[in-house]
Amino acid sequence: MSSRPAGKIPDGAAFLTPTPSMHAPAASHRKPFRLLDALEKPIEWIIRACGWSSIVCIVAIFVFIFKEAAPEVPKLDWIYFFTSSRWIPNPAPGNEASFGALALLVGTFSVTAIALLLAVPIGLGAAVYISEFAKGKVKETLKIVIELLAAIPSIVWGFIGLMVLGPIVKSVFTAAPGSAWGHIMMTLHLASADTGAAQGTNLLTGGIILALMSVPIIVSLSEDALRAVPDSFREASLALGANPWETVRRVLFPAARNGLLAACMLGMGRAVGETMAVLLATGHNNRIPAALTDPVRTMTATIAAEMGETVHGDAHYRVLFILGIVLFVITCSINVAADLIIKGVKKSNNA
Amino acid sequence: MNKSLITFSAATIAAVFAFSGCGKKGEDSGGSGTPDAPKKKMVEIRAKGSDTMIQLATAWAEDYRKVAPNVMVNANGGGSGTGIASLQNGTTDICNASREIKPEEKAKVKEVTGKEVKEFVVAYDALAIYSNPANPIKEISIEELREIWAEGGTITTWDVINPAFTGKISLFGRQNNSGTYDYLREHVCGKTAEGKQREFRGGISEMNGSAEVVENVAKTPTGLGYSGMGYKTPTVNWLKISKKKGEAGVEPGIEAARSGSYPISRKLYIYTAGEPTGETKAFIDWILSDEGQKIVAKEGFVSLK
Repeated sequence: MSSRPAGKIPDGAAFLTPTPSMHAPAASHRKPFRLLDALEKPIEWIIRACGWSSIVCIVAIFVFIFKEAAPEVPKLDWIYFFTSSRWIPNPAPGNEASFGALALLVGTFSVTAIALLLAVPIGLGAAVYISEFAKGKVKETLKIVIELLAAIPSIVWGFIGLMVLGPIVKSVFTAAPGSAWGHIMMTLHLASADTGAAQGTNLLTGGIILALMSVPIIVSLSEDALRAVPDSFREASLALGANPWETVRRVLFPAARNGLLAACMLGMGRAVGETMAVLLATGHNNRIPAALTDPVRTMTATIAAEMGETVHGDAHYRVLFILGIVLFVITCSINVAADLIIKGVKKSNNA
Repeated sequence: MNKSLITFSAATIAAVFAFSGCGKKGEDSGGSGTPDAPKKKMVEIRAKGSDTMIQLATAWAEDYRKVAPNVMVNANGGGSGTGIASLQNGTTDICNASREIKPEEKAKVKEVTGKEVKEFVVAYDALAIYSNPANPIKEISIEELREIWAEGGTITTWDVINPAFTGKISLFGRQNNSGTYDYLREHVCGKTAEGKQREFRGGISEMNGSAEVVENVAKTPTGLGYSGMGYKTPTVNWLKISKKKGEAGVEPGIEAARSGSYPISRKLYIYTAGEPTGETKAFIDWILSDEGQKIVAKEGFVSLK
């Protein structure tokens, strides 16, 4: 689902090119390689199958999710689903279950919004620095470290949010009742009580963790987009007397606009779909947040927390799959939009 | 769901037939082949009822196999009411119940089976309400707790309970598939005007474990949470609970739970139709013994002794 845009391909291609050229002379020395010739066709097919497998997978995933959700789709009160936050999937005996997912949707989008607010400036800034200003070893080191950041498992991020960042956020957003800081937090909607955040795992903590997780994606894709801008643009700008900052802002950003936008959208896709980290770091509280440090609950965390205990095939089970479809549609449209934007980049470059 | 239920019951029936067939064959060959090795007949005890007790019942069943390998206890949930109904129509030997049997249910069993219902108290269940030590409020009534936790409740700030403390109440509970969640809902949230169970309000942080609830209350001055009594730590305070505002609160504790004076506690029962006999009697005696009661404590309930 997280389809990497075309910008990544040159690296891979460069890495692969030496291989055939190394094998070619060996093949010419040893003639009887008939077996390989015979295998050529099947291998070609296998490779083709590998290429198509991703499409098969995505169709299969969609069919499976939809099949599990289907019986409930006509029965679900969709208006209620999107407008109520009364989520009571396991009601007391004699009561009706209630599936209002508004707070879950708001939870997902608010955490994502906080994440993007933090990750986009940092990510773009880092990309500009790496692609335009950093030289030699610094540049290489930074690129490697950012790739490493992308390799940290999401459960580890969640753990950091719960054990390290949560307590820090809580201690920063804590005030004595009636104090000035408490008053400021209330007026600016930083906290919903004048004593500060009720718990360390909340919207802000989750947002920071998600920002850290999407920064590597934004940096590496934005850097590709900036590098794709021809040097003649930079030279022309500098020749006209623009300083480096003006060059970045007035020339590079507009030229790489689509690529940068796509980078941010893929970062957003990562944040929307993330599960383990938000499950641990957002507080798992089904409410519409009124302040920055209110706990929230996301769609992904709800699926993860409740799926294990549902009766296979009952309404609750199917509604969790419907949540899955909603997520699938959101992340798919984000990725498709990002791909279309990148295609736009190519066209404008060719023209 | 209906379809899968039918398939499941069909499979169960098939399995039972297959099993009973095998059993007979085994007995025959055992009887004629080696008379010097007296094989004890396999006995099945059917236990059905309370979902709250299902983990406890399963733990008893598992450990009892070590005591009496020839006895297989088949523990099932479904709810206390279902268990009592099964007692009536003879589809269970033991009914686990997390509430006392109603007189009319007792009469019904007598009417259908002709046997008097026998009651055994096998354990106690109690929940503590935890608050932060910085909170000067040390006592609370069930009525107030209801308005704090239940849907549509009127209390959201501490000063309503006692002007000595202010701030929004931050609620920490368990996730909605936990037995503790069900228990507090049943005992604290009360009934709606139509006589239905009131649900919890929105905006409660749902924690994955009881220890997590206690930890969050410990860190939050305005926090309030619920968990089993075993989760008490020095960093949290537990509230004395009274039935009505103005009455003296009862401190949670094993003795208070056993005596029933603590309001958020209940007895857990086993019911049988008529005086239990044979293996069923042996099983219940074992549950009431020290060994069976050890499992009660291990599963997070309060033991009899």
